[in-house]
Amino acid sequence: MKLDRRHGFLVVLVACLLIPVLVQAQPADEVAYRAFPVIGSRVAIWMVAQLHLLFAAFVLAVPMFVLIIEYIGYRTGEKRYDQLAYEFTKLLSVAFSLTAALGAMLTFMLVVLYPKFTNYLVSIFSWTFFPYALLFIAEAVFLYTYYYGWGKFSPRVHLALGVGLNLVGTAILFIADAWVTFMTSPGGITESGELENMWEAINNFTWMPINIHRLIANVSFGGSIAAAYGAYRFLNTKIEEERAHYDWMGYVGNFIAICAFLPLPFAGYWLANEIYGYSQNLGMTLMGGAFSWLFIIQAVLIGMLFLSANYYLWIGMERIKGAERFRGAIKYLLISITICVLVWAIPHSMVASIEEARKMGGAHHPWLSVLGVMSAKNTAVNILILTTYISFLLYRRGNKEPTVSWAKAGNLVQFLIFAATVAFVVFLGIYGYFVEAKVRIGLSIPQVLSVVFAMISVTVIDLMMFRKARQRAIRWGKMPVRAQYTLFFTAISFTWLMGLMGYARSGLRQHWHVYGVMRDTSVDAYTPTLGYASWVVSIIVLIFFVFIAFVFWLAGLSGSKVSK
Amino acid sequence: MKHTLGIFLFTILVTAFYGYVGQLVPQMETYPPRETEVGEDLTTSEMVDVGREIYEGKGTCVSCHTIGSTEAGRFPDLAGIGASSASKIEGLSDVEYLAESLFEPDTYIVDGFNPGMLPVDKPPISLNQQEVLAVIAYLQSLGGQPTVTMQTELGYAAENQESAATDVASTDKVGGAELGGEALLVAQGCSACHSLTEPVRLVGPSLFDVGKRLTRGEIYEALMVPDATIAESYPPGLMGASMSATGFYEKITLRQLEAMVDHLASLDGSK
Repeated sequence: MKLDRRHGFLVVLVACLLIPVLVQAQPADEVAYRAFPVIGSRVAIWMVAQLHLLFAAFVLAVPMFVLIIEYIGYRTGEKRYDQLAYEFTKLLSVAFSLTAALGAMLTFMLVVLYPKFTNYLVSIFSWTFFPYALLFIAEAVFLYTYYYGWGKFSPRVHLALGVGLNLVGTAILFIADAWVTFMTSPGGITESGELENMWEAINNFTWMPINIHRLIANVSFGGSIAAAYGAYRFLNTKIEEERAHYDWMGYVGNFIAICAFLPLPFAGYWLANEIYGYSQNLGMTLMGGAFSWLFIIQAVLIGMLFLSANYYLWIGMERIKGAERFRGAIKYLLISITICVLVWAIPHSMVASIEEARKMGGAHHPWLSVLGVMSAKNTAVNILILTTYISFLLYRRGNKEPTVSWAKAGNLVQFLIFAATVAFVVFLGIYGYFVEAKVRIGLSIPQVLSVVFAMISVTVIDLMMFRKARQRAIRWGKMPVRAQYTLFFTAISFTWLMGLMGYARSGLRQHWHVYGVMRDTSVDAYTPTLGYASWVVSIIVLIFFVFIAFVFWLAGLSGSKVSK
Repeated sequence: MKHTLGIFLFTILVTAFYGYVGQLVPQMETYPPRETEVGEDLTTSEMVDVGREIYEGKGTCVSCHTIGSTEAGRFPDLAGIGASSASKIEGLSDVEYLAESLFEPDTYIVDGFNPGMLPVDKPPISLNQQEVLAVIAYLQSLGGQPTVTMQTELGYAAENQESAATDVASTDKVGGAELGGEALLVAQGCSACHSLTEPVRLVGPSLFDVGKRLTRGEIYEALMVPDATIAESYPPGLMGASMSATGFYEKITLRQLEAMVDHLASLDGSK
């Protein structure tokens, strides 16, 4: 394994340092494209790039929550947190090697298959490759010292290594995002595409929104994969103590995934807003043109994610004595989630038979199409987030009885906050139908802010109310098999969603390598159907899970920290 | 082992489910916009037809503007713009106003809307002077009388230069192979007015199940003499004018026509 890691690391390092040399060595009349056999260059690059991104997301995200878990263990002195953090870190070392190997493969394929385009990007970003390579070395040093040094350094030194690992990882992400976002919203160049200002090329319209969106999405995705690892180990052990440990691991992974998932639609909104800010045409292609149906697929995925996340929490209440008192609320939460998901997934125009279309008087259903616009969808997603938050709240309260004298009043205030927020969000949603576009677009901001306010204020009240609460034990390990499959479902759905949105971000440029600057003149200049893209994404997800199975298997071989 | 196999099968099942969901939405390949030939000798009425084609295609105007929609859109609805453009800004004629809106769209923003339209002579739209004139003729025709000619001086110099890149869609070959009937229908712009995959009415009737409704001979006739038989509730003359404007009848080869008819005859409404 050490040999593999070293190889992957060396290959990517050599690739980073040699790209400028290799590309500059091309003759002036260089070929623009070379064909990849059988599947074509586009699909080949698509698959390798997406697989690299998935592993990179995992490798950058896991250290973030590992550090927090380790810190909690350090502060509370509870060994189980330290064990959990170490268990998550075990997944990292193999995943890092795969990330490096896939990154190197992507780099070489870009140089070989898209030489002219790669040459252009290098001409813009040549000086970012050197810090990138150095940061990559630093990442490897921090990661392996952090992993192999577990328990061998003082806790503070080890935590400092974790901080270094995260800082370097974030810097790597930000540099790579500059290259990617420049392709969508180029800046810092002349009208003929020559570099004028590198900082402006880096800090282009979509750079920071993508940085933030990816950071959050990575944590969510990483949490879901880590939870799937917990589920995998849970299902494959018969030892009670291990089951309890991996049940808890699955729960923590899922908790991290969902916590990060809740603000993700807001980050996505900011990103879409910046895309519109850069180019209305690009924005309309994304939300109202060729890619608008992609968001119906996205709605199905996100709906499934919310359902599975809530379902896992509801099953989880079965292992909490005292949580049965909240069982009656579940059906209302399910109704709320179902309605919101349906509203989110309703398209503006319908796919209908000729007879149906005639009866409707066109492609727009007389009243369902009313729910197919952003006013309705923003309202639905905000209520969906609130509902999931309530599920968390009930789960958290499952084994607790408040002892403070003002508990009744606290509950009432929380209820009023929720009721007022829902009323406000729905009001703004309806109001959006009666105002012009300029006002309507701005309404989503107070909707989001009111939901954020509700979640923060209710959490603060809850923390105070349950500070000295009577608590019953949670029976970790007493979870049915279907709960573990739910965790896998969440992980697969997250991965598929990452693949789909990766396609959206890249495909959005349509027949441009660099939007408005460098046209795609290859045989793949056309944008494929969403059905075709969906199958490619599915294949990528399957390949990813084959790799992940390998990672899980290897991590399992290194033994559990739980004594048998 | 039992669970490992179970997880493996479950992963395939969930992945296949999402792949299947992707098949349920409308399927459309999007090709790079076709270059429209704008001859120096076009009459004003021919310019209207060409302008409309650019408006719906290369100009990407339909992405943001509607014509005659009652719903509030992102950019202003353009119904009646031909009549109202002369009175939008004092001192500017309709042609001057439309030219300013196209070349310098942020100079005057219609009340209630945000700025954000791109100058049409710059990438990614990159219309040349002749194309802009044709678009203006079309916009004038929306509720007004087109007056612009190919010789009209607009006072703006279109900045776009010929792209170094070759427009793939403007050739008859994609992927190194002769286009099939389906790709030809898309490349010839038929799908701009007719849905080929869904029973949805666009500008023209859906061709989703045309093979069931018409014989090969009738399809051939509908292509070559569109006004011979007009589908109920559709205006005569529109398709013929559009196809003439795009040069369809001059460019199409017998082999390509056969491929298109073959494909249309195979459309029986089943996906």
